[in-house]
Amino acid sequence: MLKAQKGYEPKRRYLREKIALFFVRSSGIFTMAVMAFILIYIVGHGISAISFSFLTEFPKDNMTAGGIFPAILGTLILALGALLTAIPLGFGAAIYLAEYARPGPLVSAIRLGVANLAGVPSVVFGLFGLALFVTEFGFGRSILSGSLTLGLLILPTVTAAAEEALRQTPQSFREAALALGASRWQAIRQVVLPAALPGMLTGAILALGRAAGETAPIIFTASAAYTLAMPDSVFREVMALSTHILNLATNGTHIEETRPQQFGSALVLLILVLGLSLVAIIIRAKLKRGRKW
Amino acid sequence: MVEEKKEKVIIRAKNVDFYYGDFHALKNISLDCMEKEVTAMIGPSGCGKSTFLKLLNRMNDFVPGARLSGEVTISGESIYGPNADPVDIRRRVGMVFQRPNPFPKSIYDNITYGPKLIGIKKPDLDVIVERALKAAALWDEVKDLLNKSALELSGGQQQRVCIARALALEPDILLMDEPTSALDPIATSKVEEWIKTAELSIVIVTHNMQQAARISDKTAFFFLGELIEFGPTLELFTRPRESKTENYITGRFG
Amino acid sequence: MTEKMAKPKGVLLVPKLSPTEQSVKAFFLICAISALGQMFIIMIFLFSEAFGLFVSTPDSQGVSLAEFFFSLDWYPTYPVPSYGSGALVAGSLAVTIVSIIMAAPLGIAMAIYLAQIAGKFGREWLKPMVELLASIPSVVLGFVGMVTIAPFMQSVLDLPTGLNVLNASIFLAIMATPTIASLGEDALSAVPQEIQDASYALGATHWETIWKVILPSSLSGLSTAVILGLGRALGETIVVLMIAGGSAQIPISLFDSVRPLTSTLAAEMGETAIGSQHYHALFALGALLFIMTLAFNLLAFFLGRHWQKNSV
Repeated sequence: MLKAQKGYEPKRRYLREKIALFFVRSSGIFTMAVMAFILIYIVGHGISAISFSFLTEFPKDNMTAGGIFPAILGTLILALGALLTAIPLGFGAAIYLAEYARPGPLVSAIRLGVANLAGVPSVVFGLFGLALFVTEFGFGRSILSGSLTLGLLILPTVTAAAEEALRQTPQSFREAALALGASRWQAIRQVVLPAALPGMLTGAILALGRAAGETAPIIFTASAAYTLAMPDSVFREVMALSTHILNLATNGTHIEETRPQQFGSALVLLILVLGLSLVAIIIRAKLKRGRKW
Repeated sequence: MVEEKKEKVIIRAKNVDFYYGDFHALKNISLDCMEKEVTAMIGPSGCGKSTFLKLLNRMNDFVPGARLSGEVTISGESIYGPNADPVDIRRRVGMVFQRPNPFPKSIYDNITYGPKLIGIKKPDLDVIVERALKAAALWDEVKDLLNKSALELSGGQQQRVCIARALALEPDILLMDEPTSALDPIATSKVEEWIKTAELSIVIVTHNMQQAARISDKTAFFFLGELIEFGPTLELFTRPRESKTENYITGRFG
Repeated sequence: MTEKMAKPKGVLLVPKLSPTEQSVKAFFLICAISALGQMFIIMIFLFSEAFGLFVSTPDSQGVSLAEFFFSLDWYPTYPVPSYGSGALVAGSLAVTIVSIIMAAPLGIAMAIYLAQIAGKFGREWLKPMVELLASIPSVVLGFVGMVTIAPFMQSVLDLPTGLNVLNASIFLAIMATPTIASLGEDALSAVPQEIQDASYALGATHWETIWKVILPSSLSGLSTAVILGLGRALGETIVVLMIAGGSAQIPISLFDSVRPLTSTLAAEMGETAIGSQHYHALFALGALLFIMTLAFNLLAFFLGRHWQKNSV
């Protein structure tokens, strides 16, 4: 048997192990603590601002009073609009990639495109939306421009999640359907899609949360600092929670006076976004556990 | 072949019971392995032979819910005693796994992994590598490829790298968990050849009875967590005492 | 294993699709290609709008490429404007690098914690938590930075402003850490159990196994995670807009305020006339940012593919 050299006795090695694992554990705890601080801080300061009227009224007196109803509504409209944009294209692309595509240069190029699109900074999507939808197509600053821009932003997320869900459907499902005389598309529509749909929609909910939390893409494509009335068409601009917080905290003439509004809006946005993500994560865990294949 | 060696017990298991959670995987096992002998463990899948093997270098420690009672000693020292150090035990008791599992590193780095853990440095490492590869009958095939990734070798060569890697620590005992089940016949015969000539205490789990007969001095037959029969290989295969053993080796089940 | 497979004989079988089936397939193909097309359209728009900065018009002289890339002066609203991106790029790099210095070790340590130490609890509870935290909106993080760290730094360190490189980097790191931790955990968990067992069986401790086997085996996966975190920090807009300070200068210390590319875009695009030289200059910044992040993404993409190929 080889002899352990000096400095490598079991005691020294265990000491090294203890130190290293201590560092790893503390990093984990530190990270979670920072996150907990942020959540608690926002909840602690925001909770007092929230009331029924805060959620249901329009802003008053240069935003120093009143509620944030139009911003909540605008955020929801834009996020849903984004989802309506992204789902048809994203699900379609996912079905092609998971069900039809054979490895080759075209598929590699598409994958590369999707992967890169996912990493394009959101402010660049904002620029693009400004140049294409607002200016070139003449939609102006509007719900339509904002939804389309956000929709393109979340397209890679929707596509990737949907493809993953499709791929988790066992091959035997397809084989069984095809062996019974189904055509390719019948097998997909009748067997694969029903099995994969919950997973695909979970990805869509995650994307919805992301769209609701985004700021940069809608600053120049959709958002108004202040609106007096409810939007009556998709060509109207709207307020949104994220840009509302940004405006009050950086541009306003009443930065200090509107702090409660800022905290309140931040809390509402946080609940909305984390709530959507939480729902998606819970559904995903349930699906995983309940899956019989 | 058994009688010409001086008998000395190296592994002793006494009244060992082992559980995975509620599952009683080993029932009251007592067995001695002699120094420099090859001990084979046979039996149908799930009979406990691999579980027993992994007790000998405490690899079962990683299984959640594993419980043990009874005593296991190696060279007279209890390996489950309060002062036993699992890390040190694994250094003394080498193991070769069912499927070749080289690290995604060069052959050289695979072999020197263990010695480096205990602080052995460069000139000595070269000597160890050569000795270990020679001992595993692989030196001639790979001596010019030491810096190549071990993953580029064939399956049989990978398995012998894994053997050499275990041998580099100069263990007293080598545990082999179906080491040839993922290998082709030629590679299998090379590994078997090596086992027969190795000057080492070896415990090998196999579900290939011919293999057990070919290479081992003693054979233990496990069934449903019990040690049914244990004795010199020749005897066990020609004149089994238990009917269960006879049924198994004549292929009536398993 | 290196043995080459024998060349197969016979005819390649291809599934036959009816005309309807063909058109269904074509429809999905169009969806898939549109993702690629979108990349190109974004590039075309960015670059064609950016091009306007460099050509002369009756009202203004075109800016030279050298000035745009190398000048440190970004004075778009001066009577004689200058459009140098140097200070803005420096600002972007400063916050990105400082943030990744914090986020990479923390994120990887967190990944080790999740994959190797926290056990079942880690996989089932902590990892989803970490993913949840990755979805905190950036405007909320920027806001927290404004109202907590900024006044704290200003008063404790007696600085003119708490909106600076360090503050922005801290919050960028908070954004990037969960990304790195989550992707890093995937990479660590993909290391086959067999080679971990081999390490233990050779008498390695838990930490020695992590350090010498698991980390090296997952290196390309971990690098992918860090690069994606880096890309996220580089492209993040609102956090830096709110707390990096906004002065277009080369930072000398961690407490200097900077104006990264992204925040310049967000702050100025709303105030400039469409089609003006300033508008084109902002698109040129956008194109520059696009190229920088594209480089990171390509690197991560190919590293990631390499990783998938080499994992068992």
